[in-house]
Amino acid sequence: MSEDLLARITESIVGGEPESVVALTRKALESGLQPLEIINQGLVAGMNIAGERFTRGEFFLPHLLIAAKGMQGAMELLEPELGARQQVHEAVGTVVIGTVLGDIHEIGKSLVGTMLSANGFKVYDLGVDVPKEDFVARVKETGADLLGLSALLTTTMIGQREVIEAIVQAGIRDQVKVIVGGAPVSQAWADEIGADAYAANAMDAVEVARRVLM
Amino acid sequence: MSKKSSSVPEYFHVDFEPIGRRVENNAGKTLLAAAQTAGVQLVSLCGGVGSCNSCRVRLVSGELSTPTREEQDALGADDLAKGYRLACQAIPLTDVKIDIPPESLTAPQRLQIEGQETFIEPDPVVTAFDVQLAPPTLDDLRSDVARIRQVLDDLGIACPVIRLPVLEGLSGRLRAQSWTARLVLRGDEVIAGLPQDSDLLGLAVDVGTTKLAAYLVDLEKGNTLAKTGRMNPQISYGEDVVSRIAYTINNEEGRKLFQAKLVEAINDMLAELHNQTSTSSEQVVEAVVVGNTAMHHLFAGLPVRQLGEAPYVPAVADPMDIPASEIGLALAPGAYVHLPPNIAGYVGADHVAMLLATDVWDSARTVLALDIGTNTEISLATGGRLLSCSCASGPAFEGAHIHDGMRAAPGAIERVQIVDGEVRVHTIGSQPAVGICGSGILDAIAEMVAAGVIDSRGKLQKDNPLVREEDGVVEFLLMPAESAGHERDVIVTQKDVSEVQLAKGAIRAGIEILLEAAGVAHDAIEEFIVAGAFGTYLDIRSAVRVGMFPTLPVDRFRQVGNAAGTGARQMLISAERRQATAEIVRRVEYIELTTHPNFTNEFIKAMSF
Ligand code: B12
Ligand code: FES
Repeated sequence: MSEDLLARITESIVGGEPESVVALTRKALESGLQPLEIINQGLVAGMNIAGERFTRGEFFLPHLLIAAKGMQGAMELLEPELGARQQVHEAVGTVVIGTVLGDIHEIGKSLVGTMLSANGFKVYDLGVDVPKEDFVARVKETGADLLGLSALLTTTMIGQREVIEAIVQAGIRDQVKVIVGGAPVSQAWADEIGADAYAANAMDAVEVARRVLM
Repeated sequence: MSKKSSSVPEYFHVDFEPIGRRVENNAGKTLLAAAQTAGVQLVSLCGGVGSCNSCRVRLVSGELSTPTREEQDALGADDLAKGYRLACQAIPLTDVKIDIPPESLTAPQRLQIEGQETFIEPDPVVTAFDVQLAPPTLDDLRSDVARIRQVLDDLGIACPVIRLPVLEGLSGRLRAQSWTARLVLRGDEVIAGLPQDSDLLGLAVDVGTTKLAAYLVDLEKGNTLAKTGRMNPQISYGEDVVSRIAYTINNEEGRKLFQAKLVEAINDMLAELHNQTSTSSEQVVEAVVVGNTAMHHLFAGLPVRQLGEAPYVPAVADPMDIPASEIGLALAPGAYVHLPPNIAGYVGADHVAMLLATDVWDSARTVLALDIGTNTEISLATGGRLLSCSCASGPAFEGAHIHDGMRAAPGAIERVQIVDGEVRVHTIGSQPAVGICGSGILDAIAEMVAAGVIDSRGKLQKDNPLVREEDGVVEFLLMPAESAGHERDVIVTQKDVSEVQLAKGAIRAGIEILLEAAGVAHDAIEEFIVAGAFGTYLDIRSAVRVGMFPTLPVDRFRQVGNAAGTGARQMLISAERRQATAEIVRRVEYIELTTHPNFTNEFIKAMSF
């Protein structure tokens, strides 16, 4: 019965039915399943399938966005439960992610965050229009291994460089790897501003995050 | 090589073919920079950062810098081997000869100048009086200005102002015209002293990010005498407004340069209009210029940096009147240029002009009006309310980021039909196909959806006979090389489909958010107005089929052409229309999508077919 629920959560994620993901998650909690079980065997399993299909070219952006929406909705229910039960996600790494100052584009950044957390990273999403001081403070506070910077505007790309300069100044550059992304960003830009890596989409971001932390 | 080889040469010659333009290019400068100096209108959609693949050129002879990482990514080994390079990356190491493929040249193009004529009772902001002055004599030594004051005083106009640029020409004028004149007044200011009975003319300009349109108007009769269009000369510095803003941030002289380029292009159009109508610049006593907020700012010489960074606010939103002489516009020396108000950072005076021209703003009905560009402005009038928003649809419909995309120029596929599994296309000017323009890509996607070539999430169906897979890349063959105008197939890639999904998704999401904010259902929309260049040529049925527009009976849609230009003309001939813009701006409820909680949901939903 509970396996069945988890399998249905996975299916709803992959099938692109965010409303049922949330409903099933609620049901799973009510039926006494542990939040971590729901996350790992339900949600993450689904996101992984969606991600693989995306990589194989069978899924496209809308699929992935809808799957992520289901996961995000379910996580909103599960996060407080996790906290209440003092359960911690065993994480492969800790990531601070956000869109740089002056830029409000959120969708790509959140998708990257969701894929990372579906792949075992502990993700602190600072949102959009984030000042460099906040990035520095949160990296220090969380002891993050990875800092993800998103920029969607030609005018705000420069913000990525400024954040990197700020973490150098704060003396924490060698504690954290920086990955950058967003439509106008390229590998060459990443090289130029001294980022550790660049990723073109959310699935690549997971690959790259694993690689730089090795 | 251009200089003795003992030292590093200062410049190389760059020869652009097939247009045969040859320039000296400073050593270390890119081919794109060379094209810009030469006035060769190379497409550079990303503003020269190497990410858009639109500035492709081919090296014919000579030597260029080694391909950058961007070039390797964008072009691939095959094309690099054939000599293709990105002009924004490649730097000449010797004199070079460069071939520009047709799709990389922006001109000539279809220009957007047609707009609807609506009759407006002329009541211009300028008035004219035919006067006869008393000539000076040894007994009457009053100054020329005193004489003018005298006649105006007799007409009940006390204390007129006459600025220096007008004074400069006036004395000569009065004498040449035997002390008769047609004095033109704007409020209490004398702005021109024309020969008696001269026609008073006005200039209306729509400054689009891509295209300019100019209209010469008879201010007293209200009719348009002539019109013309040009590409916006700033285009070679970046396709969308943000790229141009970035250019002004990175290049200090950028703002000045952009203003100068605009003014030069407008003067150029003016000269052409005068030629067509045998009129002179002296007669042009008033102008109205509309544009999106960034174009408005660049024209007026205002700072734009703040438009490129959240929260994206304009420097000025109020209407302005600037002396034409201050910015070098070749009008009558005392003429003013009126810039109507802006609504927000990304909803500018051009949208205000469009709302004015279409009467959306004071419509008692429920009307939705939009102007599709890289930035799409949408307004909804309903129950006395007027709601507006701006969504970043991106340049996909201008042909950017589309594999074989190009702007609406000869040889662009503009119509696509798939009949019984066979693709039929129509190109602009019925020329051999070189690429696809906005209306073509929209049609193509709509037809592909209808023919089951792509599924509801946008996935190309590999098992469809029209779809092929080459080196793991799935694509749809629109026009095989044998029938195309160049040696490559014209194709639609999976990525093209995604680009269109992002663009149409953003537009539809904007529409949905406005309807939701006003509590209006789809079928309550009584009229759906589509303005602008792309909006004129797109097939409404395709727009509905891909879900960019809601499903409504076709007769509710109205394609109005360049409504911003029409609005500008109305403001030129009517003070009352001009005043109405204040009312429009006051009434608009601007809905900020960037922080709207529902945008992402609507966007994701609207990306599907
Ligand atoms: C949706 C959208 C919006 C939404 C944003 C909603 C939101 N809450 O995020 C809205 C409508 C609010 C918006 C606003 C603006 N936008 Co906008 N927007 C877009 C659009 C259509 C799609 C972006 C998107 O979400 N894509 C889907 C996601 C999944 O893809 P992505 O963001 O690229 O992210 C992927 C990768 O880049 C990468 N990635 C992203 N971040 C990161 C981070 C890391 C660490 C890594 C590793 C990887 C990574 O992985 C992601 C997932 O695969 C693009 C056009 C386009 N074709 O891209 C324009 C676009 C980005 N916007 C643009 C602009 C200019 C604006 C505005 C500033 C002005 C305007 N209206 O046009 C405004 C803001 C001002 C205002 N007041 O309106 C321009 C930028 C142009 C330029 N040269 O810089 C674009 C390109 C459109 C255009 N050409 O006009 N926009
Ligand atoms: S790639 Fe050269 S201008 Fe975009």
